[in-house]
Amino acid sequence: MDNIASHENWKSCFSEIGPGLLLFARQWTRSAADAEDIVQEAFVKFWRRNHRINNRALLYATVRSIALDFIRRDKRRARREATVFADADSTVEPQFEWEDEAQSALAAAVSCLPRDQREVLVLKIWNELTFSEIAGALGISQNTAASRYRYALANLKKSLQPQ
Amino acid sequence: MNDFPELENELRALRPARTSPVIFERIEEALAENCRAPVSGAGSMANWLRRFTETPFRFGIGLVAAAAAVVLLLARINTDQTRNEDKEIAQVAPASETRPVLPAFSGGSGVNGSMSSNKFVPAGATQVVYNTRNEGLQFADGSRQPLRRLRYQTQQTWQWRNPSTGASLRVSYPSEEVVLIPVSGQ
Repeated sequence: MDNIASHENWKSCFSEIGPGLLLFARQWTRSAADAEDIVQEAFVKFWRRNHRINNRALLYATVRSIALDFIRRDKRRARREATVFADADSTVEPQFEWEDEAQSALAAAVSCLPRDQREVLVLKIWNELTFSEIAGALGISQNTAASRYRYALANLKKSLQPQ
Repeated sequence: MNDFPELENELRALRPARTSPVIFERIEEALAENCRAPVSGAGSMANWLRRFTETPFRFGIGLVAAAAAVVLLLARINTDQTRNEDKEIAQVAPASETRPVLPAFSGGSGVNGSMSSNKFVPAGATQVVYNTRNEGLQFADGSRQPLRRLRYQTQQTWQWRNPSTGASLRVSYPSEEVVLIPVSGQ
């Protein structure tokens, strides 16, 4: 039960969870720089409030809340974001490091998922949260989280099948 | 849940982009700025104090301080008006003007005196008359001479400065002034 504030080396802690946090923040932003701003603010806020590092649901909920505030902060920006999300949800691409064409196609398929399914997938696969933690982070029930995950996988499978 | 084990493995093999090294420096700086004191248990006094100074409480303290400053200023203005009543009666303000009122304020002992302990000195004060209304003639109590009643709507701004720290305080508020001008018959 480590406490994030008393963590001897917060850098090692952040290097473990940082990529996943950034990937999660990218669900809400258009650029990696914005995602970094959000993650930084969330991490510092979490650290300052002296929360336990294993309270991952709260950490991701903080990222999500700050990401939403970030979007609301500038109405013009929010309108632009909303328009982009509504018209071209698929253009918000999580950043991955892929090694071959198959992985590239998989990354593209992930970015084409509806946002509610994609955020559950991101939390489950790349942040290794349990459905209970995902439910806590997103403010949904565990059943909803699990069904969104199943839908996400089914949609991915369908989109990766050869035409 | 495990209808797609292969797909899940493929997804896990897809690694998210690495964090930029800059973000470590940024977070380190932010942590240093936000929490210079070491953080102890959740219920500690230091924690409580830190939370107390966070946003909602800080707003409350700021509001109370601003309200106190305005009350002090209003008290000061009322005494000034009483003292200068004779002089003001003879004046007619134009429709709109900016009146410097620094000398009357800086020479006093009320607010200036209370601020002197903090070494704040008056740096400026303005009174902008943005509307004047003629409310007609009337007779004051016990007076046989008619008086013209003029109502001035103004915006007053007061400024103080601490010469040693360079800190400054500025208070601005709307106010209303009623001036009675004696009318002599010819």
